[in-house]
Amino acid sequence: MRKLSLNKSLALALLLAFACATTAFTATPSAAEDIKLGTTTSTADTGLLDYLEPMVLKDTGLTMRWIAVGTGKALEHGKNCDVDVLMVHAPGAEKKFIEEGNGVSRAEFMYNDFVLVGPVKDPAKIKGKGVADSLKAIAGAKAPFASRGDDSGTHKMEQNLWKVASLPVPDKDSWYIGVGQGMLATLRIAAERGAYTLTDRGTWIKYEAKDQGKSGLAILSEGDKALLNQYSIIQLAPKCTSIKHAAAKKLEAWFLSPVGQKAIASFKLEGKQLFFPNAGK
Amino acid sequence: MSAPLYRLRGVEAGYGEAAGLGPLAASVLHVPELSIAHGSIVGLAGHNGSGKSTLLKLLGFLLSPSMGDVYFDGRLVDQAALRAGHLLRRRAVLLGQDTCLLKRSVAANVFYGLKVRGLGADRRAVDWALELVGLDPVLFARRAWYELSGGEAQRVALAARLVLRPKVLLLDEPTASLDEESALRIREASLAAREQWGATLVAVSHDMIWLRSLSDEIVFMRGGRLTEAPSGIHGWSAVSVSA
Amino acid sequence: MDYFSEGLTKAVALLLALDPETFSAVWATASVTALALIASLLMGLPLGFALGHFHFPGRRGVRLFVDWMLSLPTVVIGLIVYAFLTARGPLGEWGLLFSVPGMALGLTLLGLPIIISMTATAVESTDSRLTQTLLSLGADRWQLLWATLTEARFAMALAAATAFGRIVSEVGIAMMVGGNIKWQTRTITTAIALETGKGEFATGIALGIVLMIVALVVNLLVGLLRGRANGSAGGHRAGGGRT
Repeated sequence: MRKLSLNKSLALALLLAFACATTAFTATPSAAEDIKLGTTTSTADTGLLDYLEPMVLKDTGLTMRWIAVGTGKALEHGKNCDVDVLMVHAPGAEKKFIEEGNGVSRAEFMYNDFVLVGPVKDPAKIKGKGVADSLKAIAGAKAPFASRGDDSGTHKMEQNLWKVASLPVPDKDSWYIGVGQGMLATLRIAAERGAYTLTDRGTWIKYEAKDQGKSGLAILSEGDKALLNQYSIIQLAPKCTSIKHAAAKKLEAWFLSPVGQKAIASFKLEGKQLFFPNAGK
Repeated sequence: MSAPLYRLRGVEAGYGEAAGLGPLAASVLHVPELSIAHGSIVGLAGHNGSGKSTLLKLLGFLLSPSMGDVYFDGRLVDQAALRAGHLLRRRAVLLGQDTCLLKRSVAANVFYGLKVRGLGADRRAVDWALELVGLDPVLFARRAWYELSGGEAQRVALAARLVLRPKVLLLDEPTASLDEESALRIREASLAAREQWGATLVAVSHDMIWLRSLSDEIVFMRGGRLTEAPSGIHGWSAVSVSA
Repeated sequence: MDYFSEGLTKAVALLLALDPETFSAVWATASVTALALIASLLMGLPLGFALGHFHFPGRRGVRLFVDWMLSLPTVVIGLIVYAFLTARGPLGEWGLLFSVPGMALGLTLLGLPIIISMTATAVESTDSRLTQTLLSLGADRWQLLWATLTEARFAMALAAATAFGRIVSEVGIAMMVGGNIKWQTRTITTAIALETGKGEFATGIALGIVLMIVALVVNLLVGLLRGRANGSAGGHRAGGGRT
């Protein structure tokens, strides 16, 4: 019967697709070793890892496979031994991570920095002030402030800055907007509400390049030491028996080496350097 | 005189035991004695809920009696026979009110019964059955189930049963909501079944004129019981009833 | 808005230039969806059929559970699957986290209740009339089962299409269990989430358009096969007339 043969051919096609799918994912074509890198969205979203990937492969034979999530989730992946190595930027949480026995070492290798942006009109008059004074002025003027509010590295940095300014971390204050989304969403909300916010420079560069100054936001405070954002590579604890410890060490060695450090410095976003190598400093 | 085709003794039946065979109804059947002769055409009349459809399902082996004995073609229908119920149902074929068409072409619908009996695809048999119910095979055989009117669908369902040349044909309201021409066609096709291969027919209908024009004899039902026919209807001894 | 025109141009450009990243995502989406759909159908069709066809104790409870699972948020499914697949989870040794089969496993949990529930509903709604029809035509137990299955084929195709739509467009499970790894587990939807996070809205829309094109191709293929197998391009009307 015609109908039957058609059904059969459909089943055959499905079966074929299934077979193709499974073979394609069981057979790895290249001889390179994969290494799973648990990292934060900033390293992936800026394009840094895309830029470094071919160099890492050439020098070490390792293919970086990164899983870019929020810092909290990245640390959780490390704790559960789901990745081979971590590349994160939350020193406080990292130290606790190691103290709890989830990691064995932490190597600082680069930083980028945060900037305080806000409406060009600057209602709290913070332009040119240090970050602590700026936050005090904002809180004093009850000027709107948009917070990531998502427990990300940036959010943790912001919470820490309030402490640096010896202020309580705002929570239910009417001028404090907890966004609970990514940096770009937070910037857009800040622009719409005429609010100040803390952002990493990478996201800011991209945001500004896209909006060409139309948003009405501008950098108002930068360069303060407290605004530096330290990245480190964390080696996971030996309790993670199934992961590639040797490859993880090899990857760390590359990032700390002069070659790796130079590569980081040579990465540009919209023509601007974003990450500053500082291994061993 | 040879043994009757059906003989029911002390039969009680109702829904509940035979779950899954139609909507749950309160109909209960009490048949102390009923015989139906080979080759007869019996009409069943009565109000809704009087037990006509239940009796028809019992005769079509879609429902087992909770009590009493059923003899079919001289043999007691016991548990062993009921376990292979499809063999009985292949001889006594019901066109029920709950019958529907399969989601296939007209030809495939008519062919289905032959297929389950392990008989090969016989285009001529299908054409013959369609012609018997007054449907042109050239026009209808390739149509899909949804391309039929209500009357056409009913006639296809009948053709699907006639093509089996069954020993017994049980018809439950075959002409309900049909036009006069379709009703006439169904009557002619039913009569042809007896003429051509000596089928025995039991038909339920509310249309007394149609039922009389078809049946040798009409049996009335009320409250699940067979009642004595009004005087003058009993013709000959095709049916014997004791109430 | 600019995003749409830019997105449309970009979508065409990505496809015409055979952009390797886009095609890698298309391939990941296709293989994950195919695996999850096949697994859902292999398990869901028999389970749904059994749930709709057979009457067993606890059936209502099972039915309630399946329908309940329909409203399980995908993020929760993702979390549960992560908890099982993480290296320290009960299935950690399988090494399925951040892999295509792992994602397929999570998405199977999404598709399975859809297939089971829709199949069960389809079988339930046709069952009583169909069972009687098939029995009266002489089907034995296995023929009855098989024909009920084939009669539910349109409803099953609908269930498959619905599950396909849910699986192919899913992002929570794909992100959580797949990890959005470039060249490996980056599907079209997780790539959209990534591009949106990066502020590349036009690229996100372009990828969305690519996804819609992929889905359209699949739907057209299925429609073509169905149309041919059906002998007609038309849809199906419910019922087929009381016969």
